[in-house]
Amino acid sequence: MAGTMMNRRTFVQGGLAASALTALAACGKKGGSGGSGGDANDNFIKFYINNPVAIDPYNTQESEGTQVEHILFDALTDYDWDKGELVAKAAESWEINDAADEFTFHLVKGATFHNGDPVDAASFKRGWERICDPNMTTPSEIRYHLDPVVGAAEMAAGEATELAGVTCPDESTLVVKLTAPMADFPYVCVHPALAPVPQAALDDPEAFLTAPIGNGPFKMDGEWVADQYINVVRYDDYYGDPAKVDGIYFSIQKDPDTAFREFEAGNIDFTSIPSGRLGEVSDKYGLAEDGYTVTPGAQTLTGAEVSIYYLVVNVEDEVMGDPVVRKAFSLAINRQNICDTVFEGTRQPADCIFPRIIDDDAGNIWDGCEYDLDAAAALLDEKYPAGADGKRGISITLSYNSGGGHEDIMSIIQGDLEKIGVEVTQESLEWAAYLQNLSDGNFQVGRLGWIADYPTMDNFLYPNFLSTAENNYSRYNNPEVDKALADARQLIDEEERKAAYREVNKLVGADMPIIPVMFYSHNHVGSERLASFFYDPQGKAEFAAAELA
Amino acid sequence: MLRYIAKRVIQFIPVFLGVTLILFVMQNVVPGDPIKLIAGEKKLDPQTEINLRVSYHLIETDESGRPIYDEDGNTIDTPLWKRYVAYVSGLLHGDLGRSYQQNGKPVSSILGQKYPYTFRLAVVAIIIESIIGIAAGMVSAIRRYSAWDVGVTLVTSGMVAMPAFWFGMLQQLFWGIFLKNVTGGSFYLPISGAGGPHAEFEGWVYYLLPALTLAAVSTAYTARIMRSQLLEVLNQDYIRTARAKGLSRRAVIWRHALKNALIPVVTYIGMDFGGMLAGAILTETVFNWPGIGFETYRAISQRDWPIVMGSVTVIVIVVMIINLIVDISYAFLDPRIRFDGSKSE
Amino acid sequence: MDANNDTLGAAAASVEAAQASTFAAAPSRTLWGDAWHRLRRNRLAMGGAIWIILMVVIALTADLWVPRTLGSPTAIDSSTMTSMSRLPPSSEHPFGTDTLGRDVLCRVIYGARISLSVGVLATAISTLIGLVAGALAAYNGGLWDAVIMRFADIFLAFPYTLFVIAMLAVIGPGIQNVFIAIGVLGWPSIARVFRSAILSVKENDYVDAARAMGASDARIILRHIFPNSVASIVVYATMNIGGAILTESALSFLGMGVIPPDPSWGIMIQDGQTYLATQPWLMIMPGIAILTTVLAFTLLGDGLRDALDVKMKDA
Repeated sequence: MAGTMMNRRTFVQGGLAASALTALAACGKKGGSGGSGGDANDNFIKFYINNPVAIDPYNTQESEGTQVEHILFDALTDYDWDKGELVAKAAESWEINDAADEFTFHLVKGATFHNGDPVDAASFKRGWERICDPNMTTPSEIRYHLDPVVGAAEMAAGEATELAGVTCPDESTLVVKLTAPMADFPYVCVHPALAPVPQAALDDPEAFLTAPIGNGPFKMDGEWVADQYINVVRYDDYYGDPAKVDGIYFSIQKDPDTAFREFEAGNIDFTSIPSGRLGEVSDKYGLAEDGYTVTPGAQTLTGAEVSIYYLVVNVEDEVMGDPVVRKAFSLAINRQNICDTVFEGTRQPADCIFPRIIDDDAGNIWDGCEYDLDAAAALLDEKYPAGADGKRGISITLSYNSGGGHEDIMSIIQGDLEKIGVEVTQESLEWAAYLQNLSDGNFQVGRLGWIADYPTMDNFLYPNFLSTAENNYSRYNNPEVDKALADARQLIDEEERKAAYREVNKLVGADMPIIPVMFYSHNHVGSERLASFFYDPQGKAEFAAAELA
Repeated sequence: MLRYIAKRVIQFIPVFLGVTLILFVMQNVVPGDPIKLIAGEKKLDPQTEINLRVSYHLIETDESGRPIYDEDGNTIDTPLWKRYVAYVSGLLHGDLGRSYQQNGKPVSSILGQKYPYTFRLAVVAIIIESIIGIAAGMVSAIRRYSAWDVGVTLVTSGMVAMPAFWFGMLQQLFWGIFLKNVTGGSFYLPISGAGGPHAEFEGWVYYLLPALTLAAVSTAYTARIMRSQLLEVLNQDYIRTARAKGLSRRAVIWRHALKNALIPVVTYIGMDFGGMLAGAILTETVFNWPGIGFETYRAISQRDWPIVMGSVTVIVIVVMIINLIVDISYAFLDPRIRFDGSKSE
Repeated sequence: MDANNDTLGAAAASVEAAQASTFAAAPSRTLWGDAWHRLRRNRLAMGGAIWIILMVVIALTADLWVPRTLGSPTAIDSSTMTSMSRLPPSSEHPFGTDTLGRDVLCRVIYGARISLSVGVLATAISTLIGLVAGALAAYNGGLWDAVIMRFADIFLAFPYTLFVIAMLAVIGPGIQNVFIAIGVLGWPSIARVFRSAILSVKENDYVDAARAMGASDARIILRHIFPNSVASIVVYATMNIGGAILTESALSFLGMGVIPPDPSWGIMIQDGQTYLATQPWLMIMPGIAILTTVLAFTLLGDGLRDALDVKMKDA
């Protein structure tokens, strides 16, 4: 029949077109036939990032920019996750005065920037001043890191042209004076944004934005091409141990799903795993023993991160203002179930503010973070007795930002709360609108994540629960907590200080201005090419120490 | 002709002002303070917030650039109209402002980076659309009621009914994943990105799938218009006369019918090109294409209004120019049209 | 009603009679009869119509039978969630299950409710606005015409998808706002179609006759002009429904449309995107639902256009 013939011919034509296209594509492939193809790419790592906000240290703020910036620049100190202690980086040693408000850093001698300029104390002061300078084309958004330093506020307000609290008695000595005691300050100096910059940063700020010149183990190769790539190569005159790989190609993708597809196609060496695919990925690529180090055959990382996912509760709300209700909600949420189903058991249920990797003291655990529906119902019985239909006449709105993968978590929490007779409506808003509502206190229960800036206990408490803290979206106000936080910051002895923070955690836990849900964990996978690749709990990859097979 | 162009440009001015004004109003009623948003999950400290507002001219300042405070110690917002005037006058000087979210990068340099990608992708898509669409429509009209004709009708109807992003994913599934698995990794196409110095494929390969996706719907329309136009022309008297004079069907189609049938098709393709230059949000999202559509979409969700304003301004102007060119070339293609100012719509 | 009005009514009636005799070839009743006759013979259009009716019936009756056989489209059973997650299609779950263990067929069926209601309501809104604007412009002419048509130009000058997204950013996501955004932004094309339809009808003798007999403007529009342009409106609206469904799916895909856990086809495709390589049916099934539904409206629209013999210059 004519019809079938035509169909067959169409099919053949379609097939021809298809094979022509693939043949063309085969021509289009660059030299080499390996999965990660390419000529001289052999000793380069291909790493997926999202488009960063900035890779110039003066405004490095989010994970993506930090990932690039922290290998271009060395800050004063570093944190060694294996030993769990602060170690030297650009500063070889430092001292603290008895009042815990003045720090003297001694810099490594002979270090140079990628353009050959020496790294001296003045270059640190220069770098920090750029962060405080209100006359930058775009003022830095991360000046809060330097808030404790004398003169930072004055400089930002345009009342001073230099950072009075930072002085350079000689080329390799940097003295930092703080406005109030803060024994943890050397931990603040771990932050990669608090880096030195050469004079070139002031001479040509435009160029510095897209191709910054640092003092780290890698230097820029060309400039950052927005939404496409950033390439860096090893800096051979680095003062420390030189990097083992020749360089890193940061492949910029908008969407982690696409990045993962590229990983599966063999074009990327390291990426995050889309939710729900961990089981399959760890079966295929093997699970890393320590959770942080990729080695061939053990390529999936699930180690804990220094961050927490929680429900932020508006304590000024009529219903949620009652700590009993907050506790009942907390008891009703089946955290383990969320971790198991949505995150395939990698994330850990949160039962206090500190991730275990920051402090694993058994006494930290808050009362009421276990899953106990009966106890939850019992707590509500007094004020909100259940009606015949099981409903208690409480209806709350659960707000969250859309597009961040929170839909599933929120749907599960909604189901959990409905089990104790609470009516729940979801409100999914774009990030902008959502944040506005949080700022305005126009919400009942929302979600937030807190990613620590510095690996300290202070950083989980001070910015979130101090009554005047910027990030205190709960509007929590407990003078006892405020005082305890200020006191803890003065303790020079590490153990004493930790003990003091544990007490603050207990005070906060009794009030539950937030409901902890889970601790984040890595959810990443590396390729077989990586012989050894450490991805630390803060999500910074140790590229300098990484080795390729 | 020049008078016609001048008239069109003058007509365009109120449209253009209307577009920018609507965007400006939107920017001011949309929830979400762009400055507060800059910091992400962590809040800005108040002084930094003020400094940023000064640098984006959102609050009133004195001559030395220091903010002016009212008696309660609050800063004073610059009124909307003042900012609109400043925007339009900046525009006349070629200044599109600076981005909020991308560390103060000038909007013009962001657009300068993204527009070439959108433009090149549109060119490739238009080529695909013209070749496949016109050919399919022609064959379909010439062999009317054949299995081919029915097939083209069904396929084009299907294409038009498909969400572009879904079609794009099917392409990724077939060309990138299925083919790679089936051929053991020897034949496949890249599924995302636009290439680069260390990419796996040559740059042009990265255009194939997004262009095919972008062209899908338009190709279907082109084929349908081509088919109906050719059928209409073939039914007209002068064609019958030509046939009666003994010219072969093939000669009639190639020498006479095609030219007349092509006029509306070319018009459509031209307009479509204008549409493609407005960026393809969904295609660009699915294929991680660094074009203007995704950039603008991202800017809207991040409340990065300077980028939204800038790109929509550029898009509207580009589309206006393309449409003008299409209309003018119409006159050359179709001798019946004259620009005597009395063109009826 | 006073006597004066009554006489006017009679006058109008006689005009209608005159009109009927002038247009004896296509009186309004027979126009639709003829169209129905032609439409019935168009197999593609009838296929589209049947598919639409089927979808409407399924969507309307879903509550009666779907939850019993396929479970709830939104609720999550935390006890079985893990074991039920992303099962491949089977006799029990014809379209498989999603990550949270919900039946995909069930969600596709409930998704039809959202898509169809968005399609119909958004089109109703744009048609209504478009009709009023088009009528005002065409009938009053002059300044009215100039202002309204310039407004239409401004709306049409915007890149459409970007405009809808910006609009949703302003009014917030959610299904009602999707109706509003798509509906409000769709009016200019309908206004243009209706305007040119009126302009062509307006020149006819019977309108002049009605006006000469003192019929009010509103009456002339409602009784004379509207019935004569209704064919083009019907065709246009039918085709517009498909377009609105596509727009909704794109918005939901981008996370700016319907709010989870409500099932929208666009959201389901977005969810399924993650599993493209391993569980492609999660993304293919809702896509097919969109494809078939929009296709049905397109085919029906095409059929109606041919049957009613409407010239679509603007479409």
